[in-house]
Amino acid sequence: MRYFGKKNTALTAGILISAVLFAVMLIGVFYTPYESSKMNGAEKFMAPCARHLMGTDNFGRDIFSRVLEGLGTTFFVAVSVTLFGSLFGVLLGAITGYFGGILDEILMRMNDALVAFPSILLALVFISILGNKVYQIILALGIIFIPSFARIVRGEFIRQKELDYVKSARLMGAGHFRIMFFHILPNTLPALLSAITVGFNNAVLAEAGMSYLGIGVQPPDASLGRMLAEAQGYLFSAPWYALYPGVVIILLILGFSLINEGLGA
Amino acid sequence: MLEVRNLTVSFPDETERIEAESVNKAVKGISFSMKRGEILAVIGESGSGKSMTALSIAGLLPETAASSGQIIFDGSDLMSLTKKERRIIQGRDISMIFQEPMTSLNPVMKVGKQVEEVLLLHTDLDKAERKRVVLQALEDAGLEQPEKLFYSYPHQLSGGMRQRVMIAMAMILQPQLMIADEPTTALDRRIQDQILTLLKEINEKKQMGILFISHNLEVVKDFCDRILVMYEGELVEEGTPEEIFHHPEKEYTKRLLASIPEGKKERSTDQIDRKKVLLVEHLNVYYPEKGGGRKQVIFDANFAIYEREIVGLVGDSGGGKSSLSKAILGLNICTDGLIQHYTEYPQMVFQDPYGSLNPVRSIGWILEEPLRIQRKLTKKERREQVQDILKRVGLDRTYMDRRPSELSGGQRQRVGIALALILKSRFIIADEPVSALDVTIQAQILSLLKELGREYGLSYLFISHDMAVIHEMCDRILRLEDGRIYEEK
Repeated sequence: MRYFGKKNTALTAGILISAVLFAVMLIGVFYTPYESSKMNGAEKFMAPCARHLMGTDNFGRDIFSRVLEGLGTTFFVAVSVTLFGSLFGVLLGAITGYFGGILDEILMRMNDALVAFPSILLALVFISILGNKVYQIILALGIIFIPSFARIVRGEFIRQKELDYVKSARLMGAGHFRIMFFHILPNTLPALLSAITVGFNNAVLAEAGMSYLGIGVQPPDASLGRMLAEAQGYLFSAPWYALYPGVVIILLILGFSLINEGLGA
Repeated sequence: MLEVRNLTVSFPDETERIEAESVNKAVKGISFSMKRGEILAVIGESGSGKSMTALSIAGLLPETAASSGQIIFDGSDLMSLTKKERRIIQGRDISMIFQEPMTSLNPVMKVGKQVEEVLLLHTDLDKAERKRVVLQALEDAGLEQPEKLFYSYPHQLSGGMRQRVMIAMAMILQPQLMIADEPTTALDRRIQDQILTLLKEINEKKQMGILFISHNLEVVKDFCDRILVMYEGELVEEGTPEEIFHHPEKEYTKRLLASIPEGKKERSTDQIDRKKVLLVEHLNVYYPEKGGGRKQVIFDANFAIYEREIVGLVGDSGGGKSSLSKAILGLNICTDGLIQHYTEYPQMVFQDPYGSLNPVRSIGWILEEPLRIQRKLTKKERREQVQDILKRVGLDRTYMDRRPSELSGGQRQRVGIALALILKSRFIIADEPVSALDVTIQAQILSLLKELGREYGLSYLFISHDMAVIHEMCDRILRLEDGRIYEEK
């Protein structure tokens, strides 16, 4: 791949950070030192030590275990949302960009309407309709994320469809479907890749934000955003409680931001 | 006024050089001088180092390039000045115009503002004076209604007008030297002549020296005082146009002269009992406009193309040549009238070999695609056909795994031709197939097209703005003027 020809510090660092977090997340799926929601009245607010690497919280739960599980939840939600959003976004963007006309007008105005609402507000509406289980949150956020992908892909398609190679494909006798997905789509990949990394970050933030506001993942499931919300009251007495989930969110975002930056270079 | 001594430009760190033939040194120690008010032409094909020489003088070399030697301008060595000192001289006394007037103007900035920018940077005139000077410069550049132009955007201008705006910008400070890097290559013949006349006028009136870079010997023939011929980074020959054209000394110069299409051709006339490949009757072509309306670009076209015939189509740029060819191939839906094809899969060779091949796919994939769509052959058979056709256009099988970006313009155009032939089409529209290529490559591609035409019995509709090429290639000529087709005798 051409991205890896030269020395690309941002990309290397980004991939490294994301890979480490991914590995940690995978470990968390299969193994956590303690059961993440197991309370222990005797070990409330313990500072980080050998037994509890990141200390314990107000219920004596092991923060390390909860961070591991929260990371898993966040990853799962963010990846699913990005996949859902990009899949439908690409489909919508490709069709509207390629065919244009009245269909394009209608779909893009709907898109505009969706974008016009603050996303958190919109998520609230969807969740109050759909419910707030993990899958419903994914669906809600996924729908909200469609426009951003559709817009980028549509723009690329509009630009690319005028190029001679597309005309050449038509002269070969390629059908619309083939031209859209075999000829044009690979050419939108650089733009799409960057949109996906940005989208992933936004999904992480959206999930964390919603959980922080209490409309995201519900207790007793661990979520990084939710932990931040719970830790808020103990910011001075038990700073580690907020510190670790916060740092993990930052690293997660930083990793993908660096990847995005590196891809653009 | 300008003296270049032992100028060398190289690309030390470039590990990614794709072209095998290109050496690290782009310019290999050349020396020449230029008198005040002189027009000096530097001629060579792409990769000859002519553009790198120009960019060195203008101080616009890419950052990866390393240069050495001396460029003495008005008594000071430009290479030994600091960046800041150099910038002051450069803006004031040396200006440059580029090949592509479409991209060298900022699309979101009004024309007047862009020209004014130069004055803002280098003079302390007040606003009203600046505007007066700008309007005068636009007028000097032969532009009508400068007042209206001042408030226009580049996209509202034609290619020729844009190049005039660039010229206005380049001469507004009355520099001593203007570097013109292929300023007319992107324009069609008539406009090309106008621009050259304009440059000549400015040269005479203002005593401004012009360093004129071109790949086209023919263009500079009556225009310059002296010619330098460059090849592979070296100065091959130097002399007056008279000397170069009539008594060339070096082999390369002779070759360059020989590759200028000559403009004579014996016509074959016995087309009466040949079979038709295309019949067009009462064809109207429209161009959809924003807001639902449509503009008619072709009015009642009637013509036929016969077997084994090369028909030229000429006309002004923007006159509808491309619209007509797209309409014939069914790529334009806004048409009425009759278009009757008598062959299967009419194909097109596009003008721009950079845009007509899918940039993310390999050459093998691109050539195989039409066969894949046909679904008649197995994978192995398809690969074999692709190899055969590649060989036929002069490329070997190793090209199958390469991407279009790894090929030179000429190689890409060969792939374009292969693509047009792979479905065994017998009628091909060639839309300015060589105008984006250097002159030596042009000659190769033209002879390839002729050769394949004879071998496979092809018919071409050959679109070009270069009358010399048209006369060399074509049996008949159709002229498109104001949307109407006339057959030329």
